[in-house]
Amino acid sequence: MWTRDVAGLRLTFHLAGINNQNFIMRDEETGTYWQQISGLAISGPLQGRQLTLVHSDELTFATWKAEEPQGKMLKDVPKYASEYEAKDWDVRMKRVPTVIQFAEHGMKARDLMLGIRAFGASRAFPYEQVMKEKLVKDHVGAEPVLLVVGPDNESVRAFRDRIAGVEGTPDFYRLDGKKPDALLMDAATGSEWNFQGCAVAGKVKGVCLERIPMLKDYWFDWRNYNPKTTIYGKKL
Amino acid sequence: MNFPQQTPRRFAFLLLGFLAVSLFTVVYPIYVIRPFRPQGPRELPAALVVARVRPWVALLSAVAAIAVLARYWRMLPRRWCRVLAAVGTGLVAVLAVLARVNVYELMFHPVDHPAFAAVNEVKLDKDDKLIVVKIGGSARAYPIRAMGYHHIVNDVVGGTALVATY
Repeated sequence: MWTRDVAGLRLTFHLAGINNQNFIMRDEETGTYWQQISGLAISGPLQGRQLTLVHSDELTFATWKAEEPQGKMLKDVPKYASEYEAKDWDVRMKRVPTVIQFAEHGMKARDLMLGIRAFGASRAFPYEQVMKEKLVKDHVGAEPVLLVVGPDNESVRAFRDRIAGVEGTPDFYRLDGKKPDALLMDAATGSEWNFQGCAVAGKVKGVCLERIPMLKDYWFDWRNYNPKTTIYGKKL
Repeated sequence: MNFPQQTPRRFAFLLLGFLAVSLFTVVYPIYVIRPFRPQGPRELPAALVVARVRPWVALLSAVAAIAVLARYWRMLPRRWCRVLAAVGTGLVAVLAVLARVNVYELMFHPVDHPAFAAVNEVKLDKDDKLIVVKIGGSARAYPIRAMGYHHIVNDVVGGTALVATY
């Protein structure tokens, strides 16, 4: 997700090409072509400009509805709704061949990853492994990070493992249903934290962890745009 | 009145030249930027340059082809030459129209006027996946099943103009 305001203009984007797993966009104001995955203008009057990333999450409807009872959702466009993807489209996509593989480090092209590019580094977390562990404590570059699976066992968020005003890297644990509104507890302050990364009880109640943008992507695509990526659970 | 025999030949070269230029500008970007085909590091920028100039190149080519057809029409010796010439020029004109068509939006229709429903009005399965954003107190969700078709939604959330992509 990207901002549309750049170079003093508000741009309107259109689909202009499919480029491996990503696509190319064209803005109608200047005719510049932009790469979807990077937000970079690759051809045209604004070539070299960079769109600003807007933080977004991928959540289940149940989780989002509980978190945002006043939220608004995009309606289907009725005349095209019958052509929308089936719910298991990502399962069916696994069988579609890819034109680039990057079959290295035991990875297969369509292995699903959670990719983080932050703090000067890129790191890919195998999706199945994160789902299994439910709380991943790791580093991206030199920064400690947490990947947290939500109470729905499907949604995932990433946070910087630092609490404002607390030194060092706090250790977090899952509460797993022990408290109705809290998912995690940290050992440094004894505070309880919800899936939005905010302390709901304890010494630092009201403080929120910094969210980190994370991309759910196939291995071949992540690797194509992050050639120096490391992989959680693998020594490269 | 005898016209030089080179006239039809000269006209044919010109028309074929215009047709080749128009065909190249229309087809080359679609050929390079298509799914399930890796693009080399130089191909993609080249294809995008062609895509950017093609509406005007194809239009100029069509205008030139029509002008040349008008110039040489009466000099074409036989009826079938004139028919071929008209068809060829017509093709160049059609390519000028196609050069302005976005085939990707024919396949994946855009959401021209996004509309939104309150969360309690929506009927989705609890495990349907969404891309969600919250800015300035405004929370917005884009169902992945719809985004997987439309790919792009231009929106304004909490005063921030953004483009949701999938």
